[in-house]
Amino acid sequence: MLEILIVGAVSSAIYAMLAVGFTLIFGVARVLNLAHGSFYALGAYGAYWLTSSLKWPLLPAALASIGAVALFGVAVERVFVRPMRSSQLAVLMITLAVALVVEQALFLTFGSEYRNVPGFVDAKVTIGGVDVAGSRLLALAVSVVVIAALWLFIQHTRLGSAILAISQDAQAAQYVGIPSDRIFSVVMGISAGLAAAAGILAGPFLSVQPTMWLLPIVKAFAIVVVGGLGSIPGSIVAALMLGYAETIVAYAASTSWTEIVSVLATLLMLVVRPAGIFGRRAAF
Amino acid sequence: MLRHRLDLAAAAVLVGAMAVLPLVFPSNYLIGVLTVSAIYGIWAVSWDFMSGLTGRENFGHSLFIGVGAYTAGFLNTSFGANPWWSLPAAMVVSVLFALLIGLPTLRLKGPYFALAMLSGSVIMQRLMLIFWEHTGGEEGINGLAPLIRSQLGFYYFVLGTLVATTVVLLALARSHWGLILRAVRGDEATCQAAGINVTFYKIASLVISAACAGAGGAMYAHYQLQVSPQLFAVVTSITIITMVYVGGMGTIYGPVGGAILLVLATELLREFGEWRLMVYSCALILILFFLPTGLVAPLWQRLRGLLRRKGKDPLVPVAADVMEQQA
Repeated sequence: MLEILIVGAVSSAIYAMLAVGFTLIFGVARVLNLAHGSFYALGAYGAYWLTSSLKWPLLPAALASIGAVALFGVAVERVFVRPMRSSQLAVLMITLAVALVVEQALFLTFGSEYRNVPGFVDAKVTIGGVDVAGSRLLALAVSVVVIAALWLFIQHTRLGSAILAISQDAQAAQYVGIPSDRIFSVVMGISAGLAAAAGILAGPFLSVQPTMWLLPIVKAFAIVVVGGLGSIPGSIVAALMLGYAETIVAYAASTSWTEIVSVLATLLMLVVRPAGIFGRRAAF
Repeated sequence: MLRHRLDLAAAAVLVGAMAVLPLVFPSNYLIGVLTVSAIYGIWAVSWDFMSGLTGRENFGHSLFIGVGAYTAGFLNTSFGANPWWSLPAAMVVSVLFALLIGLPTLRLKGPYFALAMLSGSVIMQRLMLIFWEHTGGEEGINGLAPLIRSQLGFYYFVLGTLVATTVVLLALARSHWGLILRAVRGDEATCQAAGINVTFYKIASLVISAACAGAGGAMYAHYQLQVSPQLFAVVTSITIITMVYVGGMGTIYGPVGGAILLVLATELLREFGEWRLMVYSCALILILFFLPTGLVAPLWQRLRGLLRRKGKDPLVPVAADVMEQQA
């Protein structure tokens, strides 16, 4: 029982980090970024490459990897997404094409084998008689801190209120002089950085290989549908629901069936309440 | 009228060339490539009929292809059914999947349909690997019986199916029905205000599209004599969408040209080895930037214009012409 609680919390935390970035860029720029999973993969591979080939210590490697992926996210927004913003289909196509290019680049440089990203802590921690890997607990702690920091940033800084303003009414925001294009780049950078951090934190206990970007996209989509497209609190609540639902299914039935949970949740939610739990309210 | 005759002539030349080519250069390799290009043609037109006309992007066409192929695989190997049963069975199962995903998502606006199709195909691929006891896992199902023993005979069957599918879908697209689908892409709210049951038309066109894709999947399974989870891969869907893009979205005949062109081009890329998909993805980005209206259909429209001017045909706009230009 306690095991379910802890394992569920860890996967929820990783999901939340992924989904918050995905929903943030949609809420602000109305961009559905299918390359979001690539940022996650690139983060994990970046940390792997810096630690194993260049022998960097893990912490600077992780930070450098997050920074590089954030810059890459800004570049993707600038070069590929911005010229296509007029058409939803074009945005979906171009971000998917970017994701494929990233997958192929990873495949050509690192091959298709599974790679190991080192964890920050190797020790096992015993909580109430349950052994939990330290890296999982760290993932939980870091993602809670990061999401809380993001929340404070959006609610209490000038840049944060600009982001908030654009997501509420993009046109009105432009009228009062908010440079929306620049804000989009910033948000894309934040979103990419969050995904990269999730990849690094999940790396030690998940498989790191070129096609790892696909499932996160599916999970992020399910979470965002359940929580309501563009709503950050919604995606946090939905991430908790999906994380626990999958863990419970894994323990009660078998791990084979966990993959179906997200798709079933998506379809059910679209039938019952398409706006999502927190949809139709203010975006944040 | 001339417009029609020119179109017919071009179609006849293309089909004739496709039919005669393996007789002139009798090689199994060439027949194989042409068969694959015809199957991709079926997939591309069926994608275009739903997504090109209504503007609802389907990012998981591979779902229908894979489902059709696996239906064929199970029927043929586990139940020992006659291979010809695969085609109708694959169509039925694909249609069921189309309803399962289409009914919840297509009544909504927004990107739900595109993403739900993508998720559906990803999860189906995972399930094929997870339940490997039943599906054969990475290996898939082997030892399917061919539909027609002779390779050339099978090629002509696939080519015939491609022509029939294209003709039927083109006729539908130029009919009242197609007009409604295009109108849905233009302005859904106005269509609803005009009393059109928008959701019905969208789901019906998805069902038609899925049936064609499923049949194509079954043919592919009986051509390869095996099915593998790779059929569900996102790359399969993207390849098809790229073909439609190259062909010219919403023109129905364009994607057939795009499919044949790209399958032949892919064969030329063979020497790139594992760089092939990289080249392909980069090409896709370049196409999105520099050829947003496609290549095949716009080229043909320009060529037809030139030919028509030579024939001194008075330029009377035909309804279908106007529709095509908007497409």
